Amino acid sequence: MILSRTAQGLYWMSRYLDRAEHLCRLLALQMEALVDRPFREVHFGWSRIYGNVHRQPPWGDIGELESDEGLIFDSYTLAEDLTFERLNPGSVWSCFAVGRENARQMRASITEVMWLNLNRTYLRLQHMGIQDIWRISPESFYAETAGAISAFTGSAADTMYRDEAWLFMRLGRAIERVQQTMSLLLTQIALSRQAEDTFDGDWGTLLRLYHAFDAYVYRHGVQVEPDHVLDLLVTDSLLPGALARSLGQVAEALDGLGPGPDTGASADAARLAGRVTALVRYEWDGRDNPEPLLQEINDHCRSMHDLVAATYFDYPIEDFRQR
Amino acid sequence: MDFKGYGLDQTIFDEMFLPNGEPRVGSQRLHEALLGLSQEELAGIQERVTHSFSTEGITFTVYGDEEAEERIIPVDCVPRIITAAEWDFLERGLVQRVTALNRFLSDVYGDGRIIEDGVIPVDVVRGCPQYRVEMRGMEVPYGVWVAICGTDLVRTNDGFFVLEDNLRVPSGVSYMIANRKAVKAALRRVYRSTRVRDVEHYGRLLRETLRELSPRGQPDPSIVLLTPGIYNSAFYEHMFLAGELGAMLVEGRDLVVNDGFVYTRTTSGLRRVDVIYRRVDDDFLDPLVFRPDSLLGVPGLMHAYRLGNVTLANAPGTGVADDKSVYNYVPDMVRYYLGEEPLLQNVETHLCRRPDGLEYTLDNLDKLVVKRVGGSGGYGMLVGPHATPEEREAYSREIRANPADFISQPTLALSRAPCLVEGGFAPRHVDLRPFLLQGQHARTVPGAFCRVALRPGSLVVNSSQGGGGKDLWVLEE
Repeated sequence: MILSRTAQGLYWMSRYLDRAEHLCRLLALQMEALVDRPFREVHFGWSRIYGNVHRQPPWGDIGELESDEGLIFDSYTLAEDLTFERLNPGSVWSCFAVGRENARQMRASITEVMWLNLNRTYLRLQHMGIQDIWRISPESFYAETAGAISAFTGSAADTMYRDEAWLFMRLGRAIERVQQTMSLLLTQIALSRQAEDTFDGDWGTLLRLYHAFDAYVYRHGVQVEPDHVLDLLVTDSLLPGALARSLGQVAEALDGLGPGPDTGASADAARLAGRVTALVRYEWDGRDNPEPLLQEINDHCRSMHDLVAATYFDYPIEDFRQR
Repeated sequence: MDFKGYGLDQTIFDEMFLPNGEPRVGSQRLHEALLGLSQEELAGIQERVTHSFSTEGITFTVYGDEEAEERIIPVDCVPRIITAAEWDFLERGLVQRVTALNRFLSDVYGDGRIIEDGVIPVDVVRGCPQYRVEMRGMEVPYGVWVAICGTDLVRTNDGFFVLEDNLRVPSGVSYMIANRKAVKAALRRVYRSTRVRDVEHYGRLLRETLRELSPRGQPDPSIVLLTPGIYNSAFYEHMFLAGELGAMLVEGRDLVVNDGFVYTRTTSGLRRVDVIYRRVDDDFLDPLVFRPDSLLGVPGLMHAYRLGNVTLANAPGTGVADDKSVYNYVPDMVRYYLGEEPLLQNVETHLCRRPDGLEYTLDNLDKLVVKRVGGSGGYGMLVGPHATPEEREAYSREIRANPADFISQPTLALSRAPCLVEGGFAPRHVDLRPFLLQGQHARTVPGAFCRVALRPGSLVVNSSQGGGGKDLWVLEE
């Protein structure tokens, strides 16, 4: 049993840190693309990232990116907006700072190793700006920052007692991953549909993002086919970050937590987790069009978040006296 | 590294050196160890200590114009030493003083005998803004109003003096422990050979103390620490102590009162609370009783408290006993309640509310430290000898306008201790804040938060005014 506010803080800490890590990984790949990929692919990459985080670029659209100078100049501004912009609540810095602020509040509930990992990264980032990372290998900065957040998660796995605090962290991370994956896949599908016939939609980058290239080649060979990529990222329960795996982690965490004070909302959350798992497991293969199904899963996941909050964080106290 | 150019001053007590320049009893080993370190090694040790505070996030919050900022309290790596005999004396003095202060609080919220007997004027007590009429007639478990006390002490050539009793929500104990952890790791050899008494069991003693004050007397009461939240300047300490206590760190919004009992809101429903170690000021504890606009408190908390269903440590209303006007009467309280002579001396204090005190203060402004009765943190005080004539004139106008708001004290020659400054040793003024815990028994850890005025010549040790911290080593016999 832990304080509801503590549970909520740990849940959001995990969500924000995972969000920062996800964005760092996307930006690392985009920085690599800046080195030698065609303009349209770079443009596609920026559109995918902005679509994923549901944000408009600073001047309304990505721009044409039709010259090397323009590409570098515009990309600098876009990267700054997504990485260090304090006024962008979805920037790497903002997500990381909110995650760390939650950790600071809940410090008594996490281990010292976790805190030190996180705070060292915070001290490294707090006075940095895009100019500090841009000239030499910006992709290294993103990879290192994502790695530092991974190290935090790893230190949690190594040092945390497997109590409710741990389960709320796991739950937050899993729900965040589901929502990030859904958002990214929906964005990717929409952008690919709009792209020229001669452009392959850069599905390979998604495989790299999820460290899924080997798994893909093992299952489908070296030819990157959009449907196969989607299959892998949605249904492969062995692939970290794949939808089926993250949903399994949501269900496991809810099961471990047991019913909260609001037993009605608890039951609804468990039922919804089962429904979403069934959609992935039984209805994905027979789909005509992936978008409506992904959209339905996405909507259910948002409802699941609301039910978790109603069950454990914001339950009405008039109805739930001491048990 | 040697102490050439250290600058001993015969008029000021030095914590490490005798007036002839020899190290004091107890300081020889440390002195020898410091002499054996090179400038680079000492710089490395200082860097390690500072770095550990930074990575561990041991901070306090400073409120700026736009946003609150986390800052690290500067720590000096050279410890200050207190001998076993000195500590024994201080400990006895503190127990005596806090016992008298608790008796005083029971009395002034009860029959008021000390007022009737003319030991302390009624207006000094009842006119004090910290006197809480809401606490009249309250009985607290074992007569313990002050369970946690942090007393500010200074030393001069004439001995130790109490500068201030902090009886409301005293802070600093976490920095005492953090200083110890960082400094002992950096000076491990000399620490081991010097036989320093441990302070890191403070959390266990605090838990014992709070357990003893549980309203139901059960062996394992539910204890929570109530914090104003992450933007409070002492939030690090609240978090640290909650961890040491194994207690939930709660905010007002985490607590609810129902049928006269207090509950925390947990992931498994409501859970009853027995003891609240509150780090929220009286004014904000309960909007139904104190400030109605408080968002930090718990509606109905005082009702549950009055019914005896929950213990608050410290009790509301303790501020009347650490008021700067009431301070003057603490030695009289010791004599009145305990029939003993006070072991710890007060600093001579002039109350401007009295005509003779006002006259003396205004006539000697260039020699005195003048403080606001309700002030704290070193804000708003005048250090006469360091002030310009214009500053003194402006301050005297304020005193004349509201004499009762001010007290004055002589400018004490606070003792100095060596600090590492710009690659060499230099003396800086220090004080110390030991912590006394009062449950059914009194407890202390042999140590204190030692504050140091890092600016050359400055007498202001408050962290909000450029002060820092030092580890304080109390030696075994």
